[in-house]
Amino acid sequence: MYDAPHSPVLCEILRHSTITPDKVALVEGPNRITYSQLVANIEAAARYLCSKDIKPGDRILLAARKEVEFVYLYFAAHLSGVVNVVTDPTSPADRLEYIKDTVKPVAMFGVEGVSGRCISYGGVDWHLEQEEKLYLPRVDSSSVADVMFTTGTTGAPKGVCLSHDNIAGSAANINGFIGTDDGDVEVLGLPLSHSFGLGRLRCILMAGGTIVLVGNFANLKALFSVMENEHVTGFGMVPAVWQYIKCLSGRRIGKFARQLRYIEVGSAALPIEDKHLLMELFPTTRLCIHYGLTEASRALFTELHADADCLNTIGRPVSSRVEVCILDEDGNRLPDGQDGELCVRGNMVTRSYFLPEDNHEAFFGDWFRTGDWGHRDSSGRFYLTGRKKELINVGGEKVSPATIEDAIRSLGIADCACVAIPDPNGVLGEVPKAFLLNKGENLPTVDELKSGLAHLLSSHEIPVEWEWIDNIPRSSSGKIQRLKLKAG
Amino acid sequence: MIESRVKEIISRVLNVPLGKVTNDLSSGDIPEWDSVGNLAIISTIEQEMEVEFPLEDLFDLTSVQTIIDEVTQLTTDV
Repeated sequence: MYDAPHSPVLCEILRHSTITPDKVALVEGPNRITYSQLVANIEAAARYLCSKDIKPGDRILLAARKEVEFVYLYFAAHLSGVVNVVTDPTSPADRLEYIKDTVKPVAMFGVEGVSGRCISYGGVDWHLEQEEKLYLPRVDSSSVADVMFTTGTTGAPKGVCLSHDNIAGSAANINGFIGTDDGDVEVLGLPLSHSFGLGRLRCILMAGGTIVLVGNFANLKALFSVMENEHVTGFGMVPAVWQYIKCLSGRRIGKFARQLRYIEVGSAALPIEDKHLLMELFPTTRLCIHYGLTEASRALFTELHADADCLNTIGRPVSSRVEVCILDEDGNRLPDGQDGELCVRGNMVTRSYFLPEDNHEAFFGDWFRTGDWGHRDSSGRFYLTGRKKELINVGGEKVSPATIEDAIRSLGIADCACVAIPDPNGVLGEVPKAFLLNKGENLPTVDELKSGLAHLLSSHEIPVEWEWIDNIPRSSSGKIQRLKLKAG
Repeated sequence: MIESRVKEIISRVLNVPLGKVTNDLSSGDIPEWDSVGNLAIISTIEQEMEVEFPLEDLFDLTSVQTIIDEVTQLTTDV
């Protein structure tokens, strides 16, 4: 195996392949891949990239499918100094086209529904390229490893550039807080296209543990069977998944309390009654709740049992390598107790978006601006009080109201506005509601709009409630005043 | 009849081609059939086919075939 000093995550995987070569690193369906096999496959995939003349600094588009080939290729790109642009395989075609046009990848893998040649993961045989030479990458650990696209407030997704140092720093922070080690076996049902799920994969492989890939959390019967058969010790979930587990299986998951060492929860707020229930069902499990963004992965953590006296906090900085502060609108530090914008700096914080224009107002010096509002108390705990950005958090998926509004307007509605409302079913936290301008002739019905949107948006972006109104409130500058609609 | 209606609803709710919705397809087999998609399937079938799944049965509704069987049983019981 080639050395990979530019990638601290790969260095750790290499170390495990030397120390515990026969230990299972990855389980996916019938595949049980040991650390030595994982490294051999990563190397073979890197040779394949070389055979296609893909060079350090080039970008490849990867659909984050739950297949071992995705994992090989993802780390092969790191080994070769190639930049991964990780996408959601269920993204609508126009979002994928936008990402493709923005990053101009030299190759696309596992992606469906976009123009250009895509290579399926099953369509390549890495091992045909054994004789191929590897380029030794002329990159260092501050080079970009991954570009992850997040929902932008204005509609267009924003590419977040994460360096090898960023992703390794994040994994080290998280493992340090949670206490993950090489004895852990994690079942991964989170999507790998998101910072949370992909981060869990890196954390476990960096720690030398075993990761069991499952499609998602929909099939709880299968999930519980995996937990039992693989002796799972931990997993990550978003609050919407917890609602789903409660709804479909009641308290049955409690039978795994003794074997589960940790559960990580994040990406949206967990209601206080659910925190109490988790603590009751899992009295000895570390229940780690994170606050973070793709740009500043898991900046804060709270552990429910340890912080039982203060369950409304979003936590303290995850490690000594991370700082969080509250700044006012001019970037001045605010005293404890005063609300302002949460800003983060540290080893996992992005230095730049892919498009330079997206960096406008994203930073105060080296402090990344989260767009979230809150304060710190005198003990150093942080609290969230509001959100400056108008994104709708649908079960952990961030949705831009502007994206939905553009799609609705394209279907013949003169004007509209979307806001977040509480999910009437109590599962997803927030869901979108659309206000439609009741003006014009031959307006489409709501059913026609829903059916039209099914081709333009992801299913979680389609509004759950609809209301016709006579006026869409706008400011003097023409900006939609969504808060007025939200207030009713 | 029940089989084709269940498959049509699953295809529409998940926004996947009807041909992909085979009897042995299970939740989690395709990215579109996630937990949110599963809840949407359950509520749409309940609304459009006028059935109510008993809470204790939801855990076992893990594939197209088990959903068809459950709907068949519920409509026969009525």
